[in-house]
Amino acid sequence: MADVEETKSQSGLLNRIAQMVYYNKSEITEELLKDELYPEMSREEFKALYDKMKGLLKSIAIADMDHSQLEAFLTAQTKKQGSGRVSAEQAAALSRFWKSQRVRVRESLLAQSRWETTLKGLSWRVDLQAADNLRNSDHSDPVALMELELGRDGQDSEFLCLEFDEARMNQMLKKMADIQESIDRVVHHA
Amino acid sequence: MIRFLILTFRTAGKKNLSADELVSKLEEGSNKWCKASIQVLCTLWSEHGASVHAQQKVHSMLSTCQLVDVQWKLAMAVSSDTCRSLNSPYVSLLLKVLEPSGQISQRSFEMTIPQFQNFHKQLKEMAAIMETV
Repeated sequence: MADVEETKSQSGLLNRIAQMVYYNKSEITEELLKDELYPEMSREEFKALYDKMKGLLKSIAIADMDHSQLEAFLTAQTKKQGSGRVSAEQAAALSRFWKSQRVRVRESLLAQSRWETTLKGLSWRVDLQAADNLRNSDHSDPVALMELELGRDGQDSEFLCLEFDEARMNQMLKKMADIQESIDRVVHHA
Repeated sequence: MIRFLILTFRTAGKKNLSADELVSKLEEGSNKWCKASIQVLCTLWSEHGASVHAQQKVHSMLSTCQLVDVQWKLAMAVSSDTCRSLNSPYVSLLLKVLEPSGQISQRSFEMTIPQFQNFHKQLKEMAAIMETV
């Protein structure tokens, strides 16, 4: 009975730590965590446990460990002396957690490393330019209007509206094709 | 205060926020709003929010820019302080645009590979429509 409870608390702790550190859920605090998962523990004891698990999780995430690296790492941790030692249950909880959350943590880290302006949204329409006083009125040229939403997390976006006639659109497409070619050459070899 | 309100209304218009969304945004920012003020803002926005948004749309259409030049870069984020092996490719574009005022300005932004591919796909769709029209 006690083991099952302990396992649940270990997993719960890791999930919560991940939510705080990687998934940006800032409503969770150490205090709340302790009350939720380890109400009988003293604050100092919980803080030590929390710091230890958080530190281990960070080490695993920073290195984006694969299965064998993780096993080697956890084995070494279980062999340590003193308070830094990780119990078999804790190691098992870490292993289970990483197996299921590795991709999600990695994506969160990737997103956190994007500081520059990104493309947040795109909308467009194609208009037919009606006659104007410079041209022959039976010749209508299509015009594409594209609205780009550019922004960063935590800041308001800027909307940039661009106009393309056919010639400019073709130039743009050519550049995009060049980019795609580069991607095909480089990314598949990575 | 006035500046704050102007900025808030401008953002709410651009994002086409409903009156409720505007109120939650304000409350998120500060818990010092009194009920009466919130009520006034809520009513005001319910009545005028939609037309602010429509006007902004027109305005941004009227300030259409011409693309003068596009430079691009395909880069790879290698490592960061929170993840030693990012290995994440991304596309960066630098657009030189001619604004209606006659000034040339620059905008740059990044896209992940899937974002870029979607961007490319949309451009192709636009071009296809332009051809058939």
